[in-house]
Amino acid sequence: MKWTKKLLALLLTGAMAATALTGCSSDKPNESQGTEEVLNIFTWADYFPQDILDEFTAETGIKINYNTFESNEEMLMKLQTVQGGDYDIILASDYIIDIAVKEGLVAKLDKEQIPNFGNINPEFQGKFYDVNNEYTVPYAAGIPMIVYNPTMIDFEVTGYEDLWREELADSIVVMDDARNIIGITLKTMDKSFNETDEQVLSQAKEKLMGLKKNIRAFDYSTPYNLMISGETSVGYMFTSQAVLATNENPDLKVCFPKEGMGFGIDSVFVPSAAPNSENAHKFINFILDGERSAHISEQTMYINCNSAATPYIQEEALILPEGALDSAEFIQDVGEATAIYNDIWTEFKMS
Amino acid sequence: MPMNSRKKGGVPLAAVPMYIWTLLLVAIPLIYIVGLSFLTKAQTWGVDLNFTLDSYRKLFTPSYLKVFGQSLYVAVITTIAALAIGYPFAYFTSRLPKRARSLVLMLIIVPFWTNSLVRIYGWMILLRSQGVINGLLISLGVIDSPLKLLYNFGAVMVGMVYALIPFMILSIYNSCEKIDWSLVEAARDLGATRMRAFWSVTVPLTMPGIMAGCVLVFIPSVGLFFISDLLGGAKTMLLGNLIKNELLVARNWPMGAALSVAMLLMTLGIITLYKRMAGDKELEGLL
Repeated sequence: MKWTKKLLALLLTGAMAATALTGCSSDKPNESQGTEEVLNIFTWADYFPQDILDEFTAETGIKINYNTFESNEEMLMKLQTVQGGDYDIILASDYIIDIAVKEGLVAKLDKEQIPNFGNINPEFQGKFYDVNNEYTVPYAAGIPMIVYNPTMIDFEVTGYEDLWREELADSIVVMDDARNIIGITLKTMDKSFNETDEQVLSQAKEKLMGLKKNIRAFDYSTPYNLMISGETSVGYMFTSQAVLATNENPDLKVCFPKEGMGFGIDSVFVPSAAPNSENAHKFINFILDGERSAHISEQTMYINCNSAATPYIQEEALILPEGALDSAEFIQDVGEATAIYNDIWTEFKMS
Repeated sequence: MPMNSRKKGGVPLAAVPMYIWTLLLVAIPLIYIVGLSFLTKAQTWGVDLNFTLDSYRKLFTPSYLKVFGQSLYVAVITTIAALAIGYPFAYFTSRLPKRARSLVLMLIIVPFWTNSLVRIYGWMILLRSQGVINGLLISLGVIDSPLKLLYNFGAVMVGMVYALIPFMILSIYNSCEKIDWSLVEAARDLGATRMRAFWSVTVPLTMPGIMAGCVLVFIPSVGLFFISDLLGGAKTMLLGNLIKNELLVARNWPMGAALSVAMLLMTLGIITLYKRMAGDKELEGLL
């Protein structure tokens, strides 16, 4: 019968479409038409709260085009294709901004246009990707941390080393991320998250292999689900995910690992050929307002980087404990060693 | 004669948009990928224009071969399971009265109108420790504590077979439909047992459907990595994961391109093999 063939063909097309899951969002920003003022934003979906964007449009009359990417790498690829143009505001992670600055795709900020620049908490400034605070404004900080369920295990988790315990066989969830997981392995060996020495890395590999039997699942974007549903008793995840998990299940406890934490800052920057640079500066100044910044953090559930926002924040986990950053370490580009990290990860996954 | 002259007369005008489409969306990206696979990774970002075979050489290191092996293993098991379940299903469906037949086929197709990702999340809700199946078993008193149904190889297999089995069923059904049942009756009249008649008449007659179904299940199952990520907890790496990893995480575009080319060659190999085995018969008109 002819129509079964057609059905088959239809199904096949569906399956093909399904495999092309990632990176298909349409994101050609609109050109500004006539006199209408626009601002082209480029970041992850939902990272700027909608009500903040609406408020900005209502207050300034500037229309916002919100374009999304799935990963930092995708962002840089697109930004490079348009030679630093097309977008006015980009919000991305530290290490990729480092590369973007080196590639000449980031514009220097005009601080005259940003009176609220002084609100930024200096703890989050002067980092490796922008030593002199010329290019970026920190938006949100994330510390991957350990979440555990005391009703399911009978010891207190104090650091990464505990993840290797025998009692935890097949019961932990960790983020599906080579640099973070190899990083915490290095930390238990008293080494850096950004180790590049081949010998040390191969020792870390040996140790990492021992973690496999404890892992129930790798999950980058929704590890809190496994903690909330009791599928796993211990999890290693980002700040926002940890907050979500503990909000949903108050039994859960958070541990700031004693070996020292990994750390990341997502920052806002203006691309080198931004079509509406002035609007971009207006927007940066707008979100640096203390009250708004607090509102943003409560929505995104990442750690706030704005001193002026502190009095407005209810959720304690969103304010960094004093001195917590002293032992924290950025996960930075490791250059050539990236390949070693990747090989270790492939082997670890296949073990 | 008119037929011949038309063939020689070149491309009919109506086909031109199709050619442009194919050139833009298939040929050029393919050439780009193949070209990319021979270049060198730049230190921070992108590629350098140095010709090298390193990426292909690296394909033959044990950890990469293992990923190929694992992907093939998953694909083979999926195909066998889909065949084992799909064949009897298709066979009996084709023997139903006409109205019932259309209904059954409809019931197979309807769920596939929703996104496959959503359906896989549905399986997660069924299988997880506080999920539907465990809840049911506990309330019935069959088990005391939840079974670990999710995040293992079994769960991945359930998802894979579930996602791909319609291809198998519809292909085999298509063949079963065409069977001249008087041949089976003849075999029975000549003294063959039911089993014997099935194996020596029905199975050979439905072979084209079996082959087509196997190819249609096997090829996508090499690439369906999100099922292993969601139901298997991402604990093994399949070819799809590896390619994504090389491109996005390791930022090693040439390696990702080389892996894609290898996967493409593997798929082409399987289709060629199929065409050989099935004579020159086309894949039920699909390929």
